[in-house]
Amino acid sequence: MQEKMILSIDELSVLFPNDEMTSAIPVLNKASLNLKKGEIVALVGESGSGKTILSRAIMNLIPSPGYISDGKIIFNELNLLDLQREEMVKIRGRKISLIVSNPKGELDPLETVGQQICNVLIHHLDFSYSQAKKKAISLLRDVRIPDPESRFNAFPHELSGGMAQRVIIAIALACDPELIISDDATSGLDVTVQAQVLDLLDKLVREKGSSLIFITRDLGVAAHFADQIMVIYKGQIVEKNNVQDFFKDPKHPYSNLLLASFSNDPEIKKIWTQKLSLEPEDISIKKCVFCDRCIKAKPKCFHSEPEMITIEGDLQVRCFNPIERAL
Amino acid sequence: MRRFLLFFGKRLIFVFPQLFGIMLVSFLLLQLIPGDPAVLMAGPFATPKVLETLRIDLGLDKSVAEQFLIYFKNVLRGDLGNSWQTTRPVTEDLLQRFPATLELIILSLTLALSIGVPLGRAGARLKTGFTRKVADYYGLFAGALPDFWLALVFIYIFYSVYSLVPAPLGRLDFMIIPPQIVTGSLLIDSILDLNFQAFKNSVGHLVLPVLTLGLINAGPILKMTQATMERMLEEDFSKYAELCGLPDKVIAKKAFRNSLPSVITIVSVLFGFLIGGAVLVEIVFSWGGAGQYAVNGVLNADFNPVLGFVLISALFSLVIYLIVDLLYFYIDPRTH
Repeated sequence: MQEKMILSIDELSVLFPNDEMTSAIPVLNKASLNLKKGEIVALVGESGSGKTILSRAIMNLIPSPGYISDGKIIFNELNLLDLQREEMVKIRGRKISLIVSNPKGELDPLETVGQQICNVLIHHLDFSYSQAKKKAISLLRDVRIPDPESRFNAFPHELSGGMAQRVIIAIALACDPELIISDDATSGLDVTVQAQVLDLLDKLVREKGSSLIFITRDLGVAAHFADQIMVIYKGQIVEKNNVQDFFKDPKHPYSNLLLASFSNDPEIKKIWTQKLSLEPEDISIKKCVFCDRCIKAKPKCFHSEPEMITIEGDLQVRCFNPIERAL
Repeated sequence: MRRFLLFFGKRLIFVFPQLFGIMLVSFLLLQLIPGDPAVLMAGPFATPKVLETLRIDLGLDKSVAEQFLIYFKNVLRGDLGNSWQTTRPVTEDLLQRFPATLELIILSLTLALSIGVPLGRAGARLKTGFTRKVADYYGLFAGALPDFWLALVFIYIFYSVYSLVPAPLGRLDFMIIPPQIVTGSLLIDSILDLNFQAFKNSVGHLVLPVLTLGLINAGPILKMTQATMERMLEEDFSKYAELCGLPDKVIAKKAFRNSLPSVITIVSVLFGFLIGGAVLVEIVFSWGGAGQYAVNGVLNADFNPVLGFVLISALFSLVIYLIVDLLYFYIDPRTH
C-alpha cells in the first residue's frame, strides 16, 4: 500500500552568518525527514538543536540574518522553497499551520481573541464576518473554552496561559490544515494544563486526520502522545522510529544518551547537562555531527558523514555504529 | 462604563490642585523678571511721587504672599486683572486671542497629521524605494527649518511674487465685515453667520500660517509614527500574524493600531507646545494670538497678561492630557 507522504524534507541546511559575515553557524545541517499523512510525529531534541528553526523553515520564515542555503521542502509534491511570497502566504495558516509557545505574547493585545480567529477565516477562506464569528465560537467550543460566546470578546491579557494556548490551537485548526506544527506548545504551562492541552490536540488532530509534527524537549510527553519519534541533534535528524520500538531499543548513541539522562548514574547525567555550544563550524569538514560527544565513535566517524539509512520498517538511523542493544 | 467614569472622575479631581500649583509657581517666577512695572508704565520722565502712587495702585507695595492671595481670590471670581498695555481686562484680551491661536494650531496639526502619519507608515513598511527616501529626508528637514523663516519664504513667494493670498496682516482684511462671534473661530462663525465673504477671506489668511506650522510639525509626527511602527512590526504578534499567512495590509493595520498611543502622545505634546510656541508665526503674520500677547507681556513687565496666559494655557494642557488619557483608555483594553 502506497502511503501518502505529506511532507518530505531533503537535506535542508540553514545558516546563520556572524556579524562580520566571515563564518556561519549551521543551525540546520542537511536535515531530512519524511512524514506520512495522518502521522503524529514527535520531534525531540535539546535546546539549540534546531527544532524551532526547522518549524520556521517549513513556513519559509527564517528570522534574519539566517537563510536557507540548501535543500528541498516537498509538501504535497510541491517544493515550498520554489514558491513566490504570495503563494506561500496562502499556505501559511491554511494548509500548514503553526502552534507557537508563549501564546499571550504572540496574540495581538488590542484585538479580541474572537476577532483574531476570524482573521484567518476571513482572509484564507473568504468568510464573511458573521460566518467567521459563528465558526470562531464553535472553534472556541471545540478547544473546550467555557462560555465561548462571551469569551469571543475577551482580550488576550484577560486569559490565563492555558486558555490563550487553546486560542492559538483554535487559530491553527481554523482552516483545517493538512499539516500542523506544534512548537513547544506546552512549555510554561502547569502540568495539569499541559495534559489537558495535549489530550485536546490529540483528539482534534486524529478526528480531522491531519498530520502533526510535535516539537518538544520532553521525552515523556513524546512517549505518551506520538506515533513516531524523531531525534534531532545539531541541526540533523539522527534517528526515527515508532514510539514503542524507540523506547525499547534506541539505536543512535545520542538517543541512548537522552534516555540515559533519566537514569540515576551521575556521570551520564553530567554529560547530558552540558550545554550545546554552537560555534561557527567549518561545514566543509565532513564528519558525524555527534562524534565529539559519542562514546561509540570510531575514526571513520570523524572523517565522513553517515547517511540516513532505513534499517527496517519505521526505523531510520544516521550512524555508522548503531547500538545493537539498549545500554 | 462605571470603570470609565471612575477613571475620568479621579483624573478630574487632580486638575484643581494642579492648577493651583501652576498658578503659584508662575506667580513666583514672574517676580524674578527684572523691570519695574511702574517705571515701564509711567515712562522715563515720571517723578518718584507718581511712581509711588502707581506702585500702591498696582499693589506692588504689598508682600509677595499678599499679592498672590489677592490675585488668587480675583481669579476665582474670573478677574484676571488688567493689561496696562491694552488697558483692557486680561480676560477680554484672552477671549479674543486664544480662539485665534487655537484655530491656527488645530488646523496646522490636522495638516501635520495628514502628512506625517501616512508617510511614517509607509516609511516603516518600505525599507527601500522613493517613498522611503521622501520620508527620511522630510523628517530631517522639517526638524531643521525654523518656522518664522519658512513663514517669510512663503509670504515672499505666495504674496509678494505671485499675489495668491491676501496680505499677512492678521486674520481678516480690515474692510471685510467680521461675522458674529460665537466660537471665536472665524471659519465656523462666518459659516454660522452665512457670511461667505468673511469665510473666503479668513481662509485666505489662514493658508500660509497653517501651511508653515503644518509642514514643520509633520516632521516629528512622521518620525514618531515611523519609529513606533517599525518597532511594532518586529514584535511577536506581527511575526505570528505572518505565520498565520495574514496579508501585509492586515499586519500593517495591526501594527499601526498598536502604534496609536505614541502618535496620540506626540500630537498632545505638540499641541501643548504650540499654544505658546506658535508665537513666532503669530508675530510674522500679525495674527493677534495668545503667544504673541504673552511675549509682549514679558517684554514689558506687564504681569497680568503673562499670568493669565500661563493659567489658561496650563488649563488647556491639562484638558488635553485628560483627553489623551481617555483616548488611551478607549484604545488599549489593558488600561481597564
